[in-house]
Amino acid sequence: MSSHGTTLYIEGRSRLHGCHPFGKVFFILLVGVAAYFEPGNAATAATLLGLNLVLAVTGGIFPAMWKFAWRTLLPLALFMLPIHGFLYPGNHTGLLTWQGITLYEEGLRFGGTILLQLAAILAASLLFVFTTHPADFIAALNKAGWPPAMAYIVGSPLLMLPAMRARTGVIKAAQQARGLDSGGNLLGRMRALPPLIAPLVLGAFTEIEERAIALELRGFRSPGAKTSLRMVPDSTAQRVVRRAILAATGFLVLHGMVW
Amino acid sequence: MSINEQIKKDFTTFTWVLIAVAIAVNIVVGQLVSLLKLPIFLDSIGTVMVGVLAGPWAGGLAGLLTNLIWGVISSPVAAAFAPVAMVIGIVAGLCARYGLFKTWWQAIIAGLIITVFNAVVAVPIRLYMFGGITGSGADFVTAYMLALGKDLFGSVVVTVFTSNVIDKVVTAVLAWGIIKALPQRITTRFSGSMPTAA
Repeated sequence: MSSHGTTLYIEGRSRLHGCHPFGKVFFILLVGVAAYFEPGNAATAATLLGLNLVLAVTGGIFPAMWKFAWRTLLPLALFMLPIHGFLYPGNHTGLLTWQGITLYEEGLRFGGTILLQLAAILAASLLFVFTTHPADFIAALNKAGWPPAMAYIVGSPLLMLPAMRARTGVIKAAQQARGLDSGGNLLGRMRALPPLIAPLVLGAFTEIEERAIALELRGFRSPGAKTSLRMVPDSTAQRVVRRAILAATGFLVLHGMVW
Repeated sequence: MSINEQIKKDFTTFTWVLIAVAIAVNIVVGQLVSLLKLPIFLDSIGTVMVGVLAGPWAGGLAGLLTNLIWGVISSPVAAAFAPVAMVIGIVAGLCARYGLFKTWWQAIIAGLIITVFNAVVAVPIRLYMFGGITGSGADFVTAYMLALGKDLFGSVVVTVFTSNVIDKVVTAVLAWGIIKALPQRITTRFSGSMPTAA
């Protein structure tokens, strides 16, 4: 399966690329629990963010991650810090006042903590997304005993997207040739919606029968194990690490709930 | 019976293809609508259609996977809201099962019900994971409610509700209209609750 340009995957041969996909998914889980739940404070989130950035450097994806994280987090920060800084309900320690508007410490702390937590989990997810080919993830699911149909619904939308995007362009051009105005005011743009969306969705849904028959003919529902073209390398060491990550996550959850 | 066998029994090949197509439709329509710069998303239209045609479980699966795949192709932030998308599919399926989605005004009611359940799942995620702010225009509503003296929870509830109600109603009505226009050859294939009784 080729997914060049469709997904965020970046080709590479680093150790991170070679890690089993499940290991990277469990790692996201661990980072999420540690950053948000237990201990769940700004220092933990900052440490994890640092660790993720170091991992990104070893995987050769640091520039991509750096760019992506800023593009995602900067708009968030531009809303988060002023809104909470001025309006957070727990505000009472004023930092500076200008023309009757006061910026408060509590709100900035709250916003800053959330941003750090988000950055930590975003970086962990990007480690997975940038270094895992979707086909490898699907192959890993198959090997772990998930139904092959599951692999189909994860993988095939990725393959359908380019064709469907192309069709969107064709429909748009055809409707505009018939006089559809997709610019103009809000009401006009709203009105342009059904003539664009209905043909696209109708066309896609009427194709289902053909696709289903094609799959049936290829033994989609045949019992027995399916052979995968892709082999996902795994090792005992990796399996041990994966279990350790899961155990640590479980421990943190229990620890947070009991103490 | 193992889960594997249960899935095999409930889901025909047709259902699997329906889910796969719906996921692609969600993503493409979502991107198209964002190009038109409308205050709605329509990124759950395929999910709602799956829920209506093939039942709540298929709908939930379509929603969940849409956002997870979205996480892989454009931004992991979408994956954080995967549970929300799943609930939209499940609720749409249940609405259809209990006889909504037969007429356009029933579709509007279903859209409102979906909005309520959408909020039940989206509010905690938005509140605890994002501190109430997601870096979109809807944040102005949150800021306004906070300025009026509401607490953070109340402000986020109002934001999620107001920014979703039009979207979910338009989604439900469009889904109803498109399903009605589908050839019977397709709709009769599904065990789900048929919306076009008339």
